[in-house]
Amino acid sequence: MTFNIHGGYLEAIVRGYRAGLLTAADYNNLCQCETLDDIKMHLSATEYGPYLQNEPSPLHTTTIVEKCTLKLVDEYKHMLCQATEPLSTFLEYITYGHMIDNVVLIVTGTLHERDVQELLEKCHPLGMFDSIATLAVAQNMRELYRLVLVDTPLAPYFSECITSEDLDDMNIEIMRNTLYKAYLEDFYKFCQKLGGATAEIMSDLLAFEADRRAVNITINSIGTELTRDDRRKLYSNFGLLYPYGHEELAVCEDIDQVRGVMEKYPPYQSIFSKLSYGESQMLDKAFYEEEVKRLCLAFEQQFHYGVFFAYMRLREQEIRNLMWISECVAQNQKSRVHDSVVFIF
Amino acid sequence: MMEDQEEKGNAENGIGRQKQVKDEYLLQFLDSLDGYLTLLDSLSSTLSQGWLELASARHAMGASRINGALLDLKVHAAATSLKVSEQDVDSMESQPCFTLCKWASSDNGERSSGEEKSLSPQLRHRNNSQLSEEKVSTRTGTPLILVDQQRQKSLSVFGVLVSPKLRSAQLSFERALETLVEIANLHTTMLSMFEQVHKELENTNG
Repeated sequence: MTFNIHGGYLEAIVRGYRAGLLTAADYNNLCQCETLDDIKMHLSATEYGPYLQNEPSPLHTTTIVEKCTLKLVDEYKHMLCQATEPLSTFLEYITYGHMIDNVVLIVTGTLHERDVQELLEKCHPLGMFDSIATLAVAQNMRELYRLVLVDTPLAPYFSECITSEDLDDMNIEIMRNTLYKAYLEDFYKFCQKLGGATAEIMSDLLAFEADRRAVNITINSIGTELTRDDRRKLYSNFGLLYPYGHEELAVCEDIDQVRGVMEKYPPYQSIFSKLSYGESQMLDKAFYEEEVKRLCLAFEQQFHYGVFFAYMRLREQEIRNLMWISECVAQNQKSRVHDSVVFIF
Repeated sequence: MMEDQEEKGNAENGIGRQKQVKDEYLLQFLDSLDGYLTLLDSLSSTLSQGWLELASARHAMGASRINGALLDLKVHAAATSLKVSEQDVDSMESQPCFTLCKWASSDNGERSSGEEKSLSPQLRHRNNSQLSEEKVSTRTGTPLILVDQQRQKSLSVFGVLVSPKLRSAQLSFERALETLVEIANLHTTMLSMFEQVHKELENTNG
C-alpha cells in the first residue's frame, strides 16, 4: 500500500528502462551485420546510440562492451541517487558481486606483477570503491582485510577466509568463491527481512543463482586439485539443491554424473534435457535462458524491489549478447552467432 | 656391332633411370606441396576454432576473468619449447628439423618429462628452457597426469576453476602449435625437393 511513497517513482523509471531493452528484431538485424561498424550503425538507433556515436573506426569488441556497460552504470547511478532506504541498500547489494570480481582481478594481477593502473582499467565500473588501488600492497588475506577491505561492504564476508597464507592461485580462487557465497547468503537474508513480494521473488532468483553457481563450481573443478570437501564448502547454504543436491554434486567426477544429480530436480530437468550426453558447451546458454525467463516474470508483479535486480541482470545479459555477436562478426563466424545469444523478448 | 648394341642398351637404361629419378623428385615435391597446403588450411581452421572458443570462455566467465591484464609477467621457464636440429638428407646436404617439446617446463629444479613430436638426434637448444639432453631421450611413458597438470598450471593465470570452454581453447591452440611445426618441417622438405628438381632440370638442359 505504501510502496509508491518511496519506491513508486523508481519503479516507474526502471519499467521505462526495461522498455528500452533490445528486441528480437534488433538482434536479427545485429546478427546479419558484416562488420563492427555495421553493429555500431544498428545500435545508433537504440538507446546505446549516444554512447557509441563518438567512437572512431576501427572498432573493437571490447569498446562496444565498455560503452554499453557505461549506459548501465549511468542508469544505475541515477536510480541509486534517487533511492531511499531500504531500496538504496538493496541497489548496493546488486553491485557487490562486481566488487568481489574487481578485488580478485587486482589481487591476481598484482600476483602476476602487472601494473595497477592497467588492472584498474579492466575493473567493472559498478564494482569500484575508493581504496581499490591499495589492494596491490597486500601480501596475504589478513593484510588484504586489514589494509583495504575492512572499510568496504565486503568486510563481513571475509571472516571465513582470513588466513596468513600468502596469496596464490588456489587461495585466490577459494577466496573468490567464499566471498561470493557469503555475499549471496547475506543478500538472501536481507531480502527475507524485507518480506512481501520482494522476499518471494528475490528468494527464487537468488536460489537459482546459488544453484547455478554450485553446478558451475562442480563442472569447473572436475579434474583439478580442489578436493571434494573444499568443493562442498564453496556451495551456498540455500537454494533448491541445498543440502542433498550439494552432497551429491560434491562427489561428481564428470558431466554425466552432474546431469544425473540435476535431473532429479524438476526445474532443472528442462535445462539438462537440452544437452546431449557428455556435452557441457550449451549448458551456460541453457542456464542463461532459464534465468532470463525468471527475470522477465519478476516484472509481472508490482510494488517490489525484484524489478531492479531483474533489470540489472537483463541488461547484463544484453551486454553479453552484444559481446558475443560482436566477436562472431569480428571473427567471421556468423554461423555460430546463435550459439550463445539469449533473446530477452 | 654387339658392343655398339650393348652401349646403346646401357645408354638407354641410363636415360631411363635418370627419368625415373627426376619423376621421383617431382612426385616428392608435389606431395610435399600438397601436404603443405593441406596443413595451412588445417591451421587456419584450428586457429579460428581456438579464437571462437576463447571468446566463448570470455562470454561464460566474464571479461574480468579472461583478459590480457592477467597474464603472468614474472620470469618463468617456457612450458613448451622448439628445438632445431640438422638432419642429413641423402648424405649430401643437411636441412633443419623442428621438434616441439610440449609441457616440458620445470619449477624449482624439479624436472618433468614432456611430450615430443618428432624424432631428433642430439639437439641444439634455442631457448631458455631447462630441458637437458637426457630428458629429451625420454619419450616413452610420459605420464598424462603430468601433462594435464602442466595444462592446468598454464591456465591458472585465469583462476583455478575455469570453464571447460577455456580448456577446449587451450587444446585448440596446442594443436595449432603442433601444426605450425609440421608446416615448418614440410616447408623445409618442399624447398629441398624443389632444389633437387631444379638441379635435375638443369642437368637435363645442360
